[in-house]
Amino acid sequence: MAAQSEPILSVRDVRRDFGGLRAVDGASFDAMRSHITGLIGPNGAGKSTLMGIVAGAIKPNAGTVMFEGQDVTGLPSHLIARRGIIRTFQLSAEFSKLTVLENLLVAAPAQKGESLLGAELGRLYWGPREAALVDVARGVLDRFAMAPKENELAGNLSGGQKRLLEIMRALMSKPKMLLLDEPFAGVNPTLTREIEQYLIDLRDDGLSMIMVEHELSVVERLCEPVVVMAQGKVISEGSMRDVTARQEVLDAYLIG
Amino acid sequence: MSDPMQFYISTLLIYLFIDIMGVLGLNLQFGVAGIINFAYIVFVAVGAYTAAVVSLGPDYPENFQHYMFGASWPFPLPILAAGATAGLLSLVVGVISLRRLRSDYQAMVMLVLSLIATLVATNWTGLVNGPAGLATIPQPLFDQLGLTPLEYQWVYAGWAALLAVLTYLFVRGITNSPLGRTLRAMRDNERAASALGKGVTRLRLMIFVVGGVIAGMSGAVFVEFIQAWSPGSWLYPETFVFLAAILVGGTANNWGVAVGTLLVPVAFLEATRFLPQVLYNGFIEAMQWVCVGLLILVFLWFRPSGLFPEKPGRFRPRPAAPAASQDAGAGSG
Repeated sequence: MAAQSEPILSVRDVRRDFGGLRAVDGASFDAMRSHITGLIGPNGAGKSTLMGIVAGAIKPNAGTVMFEGQDVTGLPSHLIARRGIIRTFQLSAEFSKLTVLENLLVAAPAQKGESLLGAELGRLYWGPREAALVDVARGVLDRFAMAPKENELAGNLSGGQKRLLEIMRALMSKPKMLLLDEPFAGVNPTLTREIEQYLIDLRDDGLSMIMVEHELSVVERLCEPVVVMAQGKVISEGSMRDVTARQEVLDAYLIG
Repeated sequence: MSDPMQFYISTLLIYLFIDIMGVLGLNLQFGVAGIINFAYIVFVAVGAYTAAVVSLGPDYPENFQHYMFGASWPFPLPILAAGATAGLLSLVVGVISLRRLRSDYQAMVMLVLSLIATLVATNWTGLVNGPAGLATIPQPLFDQLGLTPLEYQWVYAGWAALLAVLTYLFVRGITNSPLGRTLRAMRDNERAASALGKGVTRLRLMIFVVGGVIAGMSGAVFVEFIQAWSPGSWLYPETFVFLAAILVGGTANNWGVAVGTLLVPVAFLEATRFLPQVLYNGFIEAMQWVCVGLLILVFLWFRPSGLFPEKPGRFRPRPAAPAASQDAGAGSG
């Protein structure tokens, strides 16, 4: 199918300096629609900075980011999110004093009771939409087998459950693309396998993803294509089998 | 009840209701949205000064006090003007300080603003009469109602109670809504809220202005009752009394902070007036700030969520039977 090989996101010649340090140095890559694009490389390669640039949290010094054919370079993060690019964080970023269900509800875009006027108009105004969102959120909770935790404060969840919560929350915002920054960090092997399967299902449903991950076996199972970064540059792109066979990639991991 | 006792009780009630208004506004900013506004009392003060000057009448050269913008607006315009002025100042301060700075720096900016505001009000004597402040501010509708002073006290207490209830309903409209949920999310993790498409700068600015309007109106209702206002009435530690009420009552819990207001600014600080004189004249008063500080510390240490902790949103439970059939459906599909 033509749509399968079409890039949904194109990063071109992106550069970002922090003082004297060039964190990202002219990086370019494409992420394919309905694929999980892996972003790997040694520590300090600039992966997280590049993810931050795509998500709008960091402004690039140069280069462009195109999403679905539109230039989104340098847009603030909440506007990037409204275009459909939703990120998860390297460290857990739950809303700790909200329940799990509330965490999911927050993520729903354009809620009626989210403006001052809408809020003051009261439940009669925003209640029906809210009830519909609760149903959607409960559906997501069921899918991820988290229904029993619905009324738990998010701050009380385990590390692995918090990662799941972040993915569920991201799904509530109806994303076109997920940016996953080390989604398996600190997650036990059983739950890792579960999350992997969820991500594969989401991909098969047509969701595009970019994933930064250090565990190469996970990358091998999930990601196609894989983008390798070192010292701020993209040094290789292709399938996992291809890139790991290349000398420059081996060198980067050994030296980096 | 004897007349002096009635005066005393009604005055305390008026203070309580007005303080509840003010604390609800700060709770919206600090408890719900996470803005550390150490300058809250400045917005109360600006509201009070505004209400004072627009009800004192135009200034004239032989006047014993001098001020700008004098006018004789009828009730309830001074209160609305107070809310508008404090809201406008909140907007200006918010645009400058809430956009780029990290929240701990915002807190410092607010504290400094509080100190600067006191200096300006004290030294720019033409603005609101400098350190002597303003006096003889007319009580609203006192002449028209034709009541005895004691009767007027009780009417005013009822008026303050009405405003406190209206403020509570307004604030609850926010906190119980999806907007309140989004604000609490922003407070818990601003980056994550932004990454989900929430315009955090706009949200923060909006709630800062809403809180400022409430602060200004509470200042107006206060000054129209006590009829005098000077820089000594709104020193920066007054904000910490409000913060203590919030931390004791329960951050982000509207009922909790109302109870906190009863306990801290009213009961706790009033009780110290009945202590016998010790050491030197004014010692007890000086110790009040120390006690408020200790109270904040003790609660932060031992019970950081306060007497009545924040209540997360509760939703109608899942319908039992359809949930089972849904599971079956998921299993087959």
